[in-house]
Amino acid sequence: MHALYKEIIRIIEREQIPKGTTMIFGFPDVGLVGVIAASHLITELSLKEVAYADSTLLPPITVLHEGLPHSPIRIFGNHKILLAVSETALREDLVYPITRSLIDWGVEKGTKLMISLSGLPVPDRQGLEELKVFAAASNPEVLKMAQDKGIEILKEGYMVGPQAVMLQYCAMLGVPALTLLAQCFFNYPDPEAAAKVLEQLMNITGLKVDLSKLFEKGEEIRLKARDMMRRTQQELMKMKKTQEFDIPLYIT
Amino acid sequence: MEAKRRRSIFDMVDEYFERLKEWTERFEKIFFERPSWDCKTCTIEPLQDIYVTPDEVIVTVDLPYAEENTIRVMPINKDTIEISAEMKRKVSFDDFGITHYRGEFNRFRCETRIPVPVDMKRMEVRFRKGMLEVRLPRKYDYEIPVE
Repeated sequence: MHALYKEIIRIIEREQIPKGTTMIFGFPDVGLVGVIAASHLITELSLKEVAYADSTLLPPITVLHEGLPHSPIRIFGNHKILLAVSETALREDLVYPITRSLIDWGVEKGTKLMISLSGLPVPDRQGLEELKVFAAASNPEVLKMAQDKGIEILKEGYMVGPQAVMLQYCAMLGVPALTLLAQCFFNYPDPEAAAKVLEQLMNITGLKVDLSKLFEKGEEIRLKARDMMRRTQQELMKMKKTQEFDIPLYIT
Repeated sequence: MEAKRRRSIFDMVDEYFERLKEWTERFEKIFFERPSWDCKTCTIEPLQDIYVTPDEVIVTVDLPYAEENTIRVMPINKDTIEISAEMKRKVSFDDFGITHYRGEFNRFRCETRIPVPVDMKRMEVRFRKGMLEVRLPRKYDYEIPVE
């Protein structure tokens, strides 16, 4: 692990971590797609908390569950997957250190593939009946694997947020990584987009997850996720998330 | 005292606006940081968004559980609309797993400030899949000729 990050962010393990898992990331972002998807995976697969992040860089927040304190950034898992999730909007200046330290930890634990789940905001989301999922990868082999599974590739454009850091850092380390992005609302929690991104996660990993509750409880999820969405909006503004709408100029 | 006498009316006006700006910023912070629910009025403040295009202003509001026929969109002055809706069912803190607060909610309510002049009389309202869309045509009172 990078010495600097190891000093400031510690990943504390609560359980024995199996090798050869797929590590999934669900962080607060547009439409809270990653967080809603992660929360659904935790419930449906009965994932246990196996590790958590500890750092003085984190805001002074503890998340209480059944009266006991938990780190806002935790890793859940079973023998097949590890799932890193944040229960609080990630401050802009924490995106790099947190994402990189989680990746370093995952590499140490011998994960075979990293996948981040997120959204791709579209202005006419309300008018879309069928949501598309796009993929980008850290190397051509992983990109081809996604293409072979029928997932459309996000060929050109900007990516902003934890998934951007993950992809770039994994490419630098030579770690296989994939980002799955479902078309979604920018500023509203989007359980339908979370279901779409999970469909493609199942397609890639072979996991079996019942998605029906994401549709049945869509309204409930949207109501519960309001405050987290509000906080996430503030951070997205700071990290200039709207740059994803920009048309890039490539100098070739 | 000497310094005070030398202050011009312009300095005083500048100072007044500086203070006003400070207070506005502080007020905005308090306003944003308040809870998104109000137990006294049993209301929840919904998430909202606003887009300004050359022709219109589009306000969207996320209203899960809203009863469509109770949705009200009312202009309360020339640049603010009030949006409210009853919920199909009451929601309590218990439903969110919260036991340290008591209260039930049965209504959404929010106010939206429209940043440019609009024609409130030509407002169009649509509700689809729990999402409210309010379209307000923009009003241009003057035009600068291009020479």
